[in-house]
Amino acid sequence: MLKIENLHATVAGKPILNGLTLTVPAGEIHAIMGPNGAGKSTLAYVLGGRPGYEVTEGSVTFDGRDLFEMEPHERAAAGMFLGFQYPVEIPGVSYLQFLRESLNSQRRSRGEKELSGAEFIRLSKDKAALLGMDAEMLKRPVNVGFSGGEKKRAEMVQMGIMDPRLAILDETDSGLDIDALKAVGAGINSIMRAPDRSVLLITHYQRLLDYVTPDAVHVLSRGKIVRSGGPELAHELEREGYAEAAA
Amino acid sequence: MNEEVVTNREAREALAKDYEWGFSSDIEQEFAPKGLNEETVRFISAKKGEPEWMLEWRLKGYRAWLEMEEVDWAKLTIPEIDYQDAYYYAAPKPKPKLGSLDEVDPEILRVYEKLGIPIEEQKVLAGVEGARKVAVDAVFDSVSVATTFREELKAAGVIFLSISEAIREYPELVKKYLGSVVPQRDNYFACLNSAVFSDGTFVYVPEGVRCPMELSTYFRINAENTGQFERTLIVADKGSYVSYLEGCTAPMRDENQLHAAVVEIYAHEDAEVKYSTVQNWYPGDAEGKGGIFNFVTKRALCAEARSKVSWTQVETGSAITWKYPSCILKGEDSVGEFYSVALTNNYQQADTGTKMIHIGAGSRSTIVSKGISAGKSNNTYRGLVRVLPGAENVRNFTQCDSLLLGSECGAHTVPYIEVRNPTATIEHEATTSKISEDQLFYAQMRGLDTESAVALIVNGFAREVLKQLPMEFAVEAQKLLGISLEGSVG
Amino acid sequence: MTALPTRKLEAYRYADIDALRDVWDGLAQPDEVKIAAQQRLQQIWLPSGDEIDIRRVEMVVAAGAVVRIFALNNASRYGRYEIDVTMHEGADFALFGANIGGGNSTLEIVTTLKHVAPGATSHQTIRSVLGDKATGSFLGRIEVAREGQQTDAEQSVKAMLLDRGATANAKPELEIFADDVKCAHGATVGELDRNQLYYAAARGLDPVSARALLLEGFVGGLWDEIEGDDQGIAEMARVALRKVAA
Repeated sequence: MLKIENLHATVAGKPILNGLTLTVPAGEIHAIMGPNGAGKSTLAYVLGGRPGYEVTEGSVTFDGRDLFEMEPHERAAAGMFLGFQYPVEIPGVSYLQFLRESLNSQRRSRGEKELSGAEFIRLSKDKAALLGMDAEMLKRPVNVGFSGGEKKRAEMVQMGIMDPRLAILDETDSGLDIDALKAVGAGINSIMRAPDRSVLLITHYQRLLDYVTPDAVHVLSRGKIVRSGGPELAHELEREGYAEAAA
Repeated sequence: MNEEVVTNREAREALAKDYEWGFSSDIEQEFAPKGLNEETVRFISAKKGEPEWMLEWRLKGYRAWLEMEEVDWAKLTIPEIDYQDAYYYAAPKPKPKLGSLDEVDPEILRVYEKLGIPIEEQKVLAGVEGARKVAVDAVFDSVSVATTFREELKAAGVIFLSISEAIREYPELVKKYLGSVVPQRDNYFACLNSAVFSDGTFVYVPEGVRCPMELSTYFRINAENTGQFERTLIVADKGSYVSYLEGCTAPMRDENQLHAAVVEIYAHEDAEVKYSTVQNWYPGDAEGKGGIFNFVTKRALCAEARSKVSWTQVETGSAITWKYPSCILKGEDSVGEFYSVALTNNYQQADTGTKMIHIGAGSRSTIVSKGISAGKSNNTYRGLVRVLPGAENVRNFTQCDSLLLGSECGAHTVPYIEVRNPTATIEHEATTSKISEDQLFYAQMRGLDTESAVALIVNGFAREVLKQLPMEFAVEAQKLLGISLEGSVG
Repeated sequence: MTALPTRKLEAYRYADIDALRDVWDGLAQPDEVKIAAQQRLQQIWLPSGDEIDIRRVEMVVAAGAVVRIFALNNASRYGRYEIDVTMHEGADFALFGANIGGGNSTLEIVTTLKHVAPGATSHQTIRSVLGDKATGSFLGRIEVAREGQQTDAEQSVKAMLLDRGATANAKPELEIFADDVKCAHGATVGELDRNQLYYAAARGLDPVSARALLLEGFVGGLWDEIEGDDQGIAEMARVALRKVAA
């Protein structure tokens, strides 16, 4: 599904990713952990095509297609979903309208039929319920007045609505309490566990991995993957910290 | 800190004394004949021994002035000015010789006391006969002090002279920059000024030099002779820094009703100029009669990349003030700042503000204007922030606050925001307030009488601006605000 | 008939004088509207569809009356909405206006609010979105007389430029003679938030749609307080935005 080869990237001229290589096969959930400043978010943004992040070397293929040939909105239409660490607020634009237009934009470019207003409301209600979120909240402007936990939950609702093939979740667990964490974990499991889907879970702490068991865990340090292993690696990191593993 | 205050005062005194003797005095006629015509202009130029090119420049200005129309859009009520009914040149004349402080207007004396000006200096300022000599000799060793400052400047390569001297000693420099920031035809009063300017300051700071001390007009201008048409030119070469102070807190009394000064600042790459003004024009009587009309064109050209000019002003008094220190932000990433406190009382009128013209990409400007109105006065902020189409990524922040003391005054804000580039970020905020009963009560409970309480609150209101001033000026300015508010409350 | 104004006249500082000249002679006198005490009035100003669209109103709002005006200024050549309001004791006036234009249009909203009595409230919310070589201006003068104690007058003016060549002007003016008042105004000119644009792109919105959606959000909220039928103003604004953002 996702093949990253020798990826080098800079932010404001500063090199952050220094030869990152990683493969996430379809049907698998991979976790990326690492100390702060290692480049975890940078990886997410580079994959998401965020302006300000420059790829200086390397390649990424998504479903066999060259990722960097695609604009961000094309990547979304191709089935990539980026869960933001800090979801942005958009006053004046209701969540429902925002998501409906986004989804229909994707469907249009895939040659699929667009959803009507009523159809979309039904879809969003379902997904909200799945994540334990009150659907009324979607009538509000995007993320305005949402607590940190509510924002993350709303990201997951979005993921449910978009139904992506690859989800890249950037520290989706940060700032969540136990209930929210559970709901997010359940959401990831129910939406993304399938043979034709994959998840790249970027996380600093191991907690989320109690609810979402990864198929592989990688340690990202100083812009490279320095170690890979099974789910037990996460526990080891929790116990010993990053210094050891990164050494 | 107090020591510093005295020392600077001493220095000012000493140097002023020196310059006074420096004026050429071999001319019999003291006044140009009344009125303004080409003869007057020639007379002035001859008086100053100016080279031909300077006379030509003046004449060009005079001829242009004849064709111009006076602008009259401010909220001010300007009485008709009869330009023919004025003397355009008066030799540096001594103040009327007074026998002693007893003959000085008690009002003025009271202000001096409140400002903490030592008696000897009061005598000097008031023009008491024989005062100068006494002050200088008795209090300190003037010659050595003056010498020290002069030597320091010389060692640094900083040129700091009267503009008349500069025209004679550094004609190429003056020619290069004079009128480069405020062209003759810029506006009516600047045009008039270019024809008949009598004196002013010239400063040149060479490349990479950080001027070792704050330059003050006091160093140079004899306190007795405030020019009516002053022309100041400050040039900061690449990477240099200079801080310039203009004004004085003691009330500037002047028979000259019309003041039309021009201040030009030219900042090269990476240069920084800080221009601070604390002005307290004697406002005449409580009816506002006999006050001064103060029309000043002050402009800075941030000509090259990363140049920076800050204007800081504290204005009180003056029957009518009309000045808009401005910055033309031509250089990339250049910075313009304007910090102002304008306080009006009694029948005073102030119409002041700034213009920030953004031409260079990445240029930034900050405007903080605090207007305090009391009595029956009117206080107007008039500002312009303009972003030209080619100016990418411009940032401006403007904060305009008005404080009204009492219900008979007026506070007005007239901001113009004109943006022609989509990447600009412009923010403008304005608030209007009065001193709340709670604030007054709180201060009074702490033992302050009403007047002191008001002064305290007003200073707090103005603090953001006051802290931009060089320390010595800040202290004087605070006192000045307090004094100017007298009679405004209760 | 009074003479054609020039740009030297403050109120016409940003006007399209040529366009004004074309219609000046036939221009009707300003509408005089008197709102009686305690009365409520809501007006929705839709663009007339003419390329030159000038609307002038002089309102006197009697004590305790409430006035709401929702205005969309979108003329293809020159649109000028002029509102002169005198507020009596305890009157409540609010204006929600949008200048949305592209091409070479000149759009302006010019208001004068006179608080001549105590306790009146006025709120003006103006949003401008200009593309191509359009010019959008707001000149809002608030006059608080000596008798206007406890006035609450607010102006919130925001403009967004989409193309180099477009111009936004704002002159939120205050003339205040009473001290116990709340008169605050804020004016900003800026561009679409880049983070918001990226968020929309990451969710699949193509750039044109993203811009249009965010612009809608920028203008949106202006029409929220309309009571009853909005006469299509929200939809018209949406269509105008899409046209400008394209």
